[in-house]
Amino acid sequence: MLWRLRFGVMWVSDFIDFIRSNLDVAAVATYQHLYLSFGSVLLGMLIAVPLGIWLSDKERLAEKVLAVTGTIQTVPGLAFLGLFLPLLGLGVVPSMTVLFLYSLLPILTNTYTGIRGVNPAVVEAGIGMGMSPRQLLFMVKLPLAFPVIIAGIRIASVYIVSWATLAAFVGGGGLGDPILTGIMTADINFILMGAIPAALLALAAGWILGMVERLATPRGLRG
Amino acid sequence: MVKFKNVVKAYENHVAVKNLNLEIPEGELVVLIGPSGCGKTTTLKMVNRLIEPTSGSIFIRDRNVKDLNPVALRREIGYVIQQIGLFPNMTIEQNIDVVPRLLGWPAEKRKRRVYELLEMVGMDPEIYAHRYPNELSGGQQQRIGVLRALAAEPPLILMDEPFGALDPIARESLQDELKNLHSRLNITTIFVTHDMDEALKLADRVVVMNQGEVVQVATPETLLRNPANDFVASFIGKNRLNGDSLQSVVEIMLPDPVTVHPQMGLAEGLALMKRKKVDTVLVVDEQRRLLGSVAVETLDREHKRARTIGEIMNQDPPLTTIRSQASAKEAFDLIIGEKLKYLPVLDENDVLVGLVTRNSMVSALASAVWGDVGE
Repeated sequence: MLWRLRFGVMWVSDFIDFIRSNLDVAAVATYQHLYLSFGSVLLGMLIAVPLGIWLSDKERLAEKVLAVTGTIQTVPGLAFLGLFLPLLGLGVVPSMTVLFLYSLLPILTNTYTGIRGVNPAVVEAGIGMGMSPRQLLFMVKLPLAFPVIIAGIRIASVYIVSWATLAAFVGGGGLGDPILTGIMTADINFILMGAIPAALLALAAGWILGMVERLATPRGLRG
Repeated sequence: MVKFKNVVKAYENHVAVKNLNLEIPEGELVVLIGPSGCGKTTTLKMVNRLIEPTSGSIFIRDRNVKDLNPVALRREIGYVIQQIGLFPNMTIEQNIDVVPRLLGWPAEKRKRRVYELLEMVGMDPEIYAHRYPNELSGGQQQRIGVLRALAAEPPLILMDEPFGALDPIARESLQDELKNLHSRLNITTIFVTHDMDEALKLADRVVVMNQGEVVQVATPETLLRNPANDFVASFIGKNRLNGDSLQSVVEIMLPDPVTVHPQMGLAEGLALMKRKKVDTVLVVDEQRRLLGSVAVETLDREHKRARTIGEIMNQDPPLTTIRSQASAKEAFDLIIGEKLKYLPVLDENDVLVGLVTRNSMVSALASAVWGDVGE
């Protein structure tokens, strides 16, 4: 028991030394990771939020679109990267494309259901009082759907931050790089150097966006 | 103000409104009433073009609504719905001034208007203006819903069962308030309900609809007195018709009280009273004119001294009576005021037509309040 504890302490201090000497590698990988994941979530938002709004009064079409994005979600990430390899080659572009596609479903679903979920009585009141469709969207529907949309973005971000490690397989960089190195050289230090910051980033993204979600909830909707 | 001309709204499987013709004068509060599916809400929503008629036209101040931009049209018409539909993301102030904002009123004027409206219904603006809808009770929320419809001073307000979801106390007080507001502001109002009490209370005129057609258009009084047909009568409800006729004493009296002639023997009288289970009988002559009364105790006491009822009947002081033309209220007042046990009802020739007792009074009141009790 004592032996194991001493071994653990020794190992931790070894690991800290390891990180210290590889700090530049870790920093680059983290930066690339952030860039990859938030870039793709941002792209996903730019596409999925307007698309979700546009689809919100087109139920039939929406079902089809959501089925497609749902199917995308079921394709294993690694397979997806492989599929894009002949098309987009190696590097950042195919990595971001795949991550972007993954981010679509949660953001799109939440935007769509968020807008659809606005109390029909409130919508009727808005129309009946003479709001144009645009005014109805910006004065009523979006503010009320906002917390749900942000929740979608939060879910997407947390997923994407952890899935972005896959980018390493196609030379996209990020925290997947040290993990891959660690696997290939059977060096646990490298694996942890990628895995720990990746996990922390996912947690931080979830926490920050959770805050935004709370702040974005109109006071009149808070419990 | 509003004119419906041959308005039809047909859906695939049914016709919601069949050839509606109706004219609503300026300043009137019209209540559309009928069972669910009678087309009343459809009729209402065609005015602000939330629903478009299949054929026919609707005019507001001689302008065909079809020729107006629906968004602009709706800003000129107040709209209140049953589910209230306040915007939960906006404060009370922001909710009330939505239409003024859409119309581009300056901020100063909007604020003044909001404060004025809140004060009008006795809600302190300093307290309520910056609250959110979910911090208010249902009744207060719908009060704001009504103010929101009034905010831009529209010449016309549409109300779709606005008080239907409120508890009875809140409903009552909002009805009073609406009536009050309407008599002060005189805004033409179309009000949809399925609650006849509400219709009778609020309406200048009631439009009864059934299966997409107007069955009767009348003031509440006319509606109660002369329902156009069985449908209207049954919709008004037997209780209410009874309740209304409570105005006449004839409706609350027992029509066939126990009577005796003065020539009747005491033993026979006693037997009759036992059989009918009464302690007093009225004495009438051949023409059923009231002569007096006899109580069972008198009969018992005097049976040795007298032979006929005529000899012992109570004539002095004369019985308090009431004419059959009198109102029920007069009868109630007499019985309660003079602590009478009973009150004979006479027609213009002093002929006895009935008898009001404390029992008949109570049961008439009970049936007015709870419907036909024990019938």
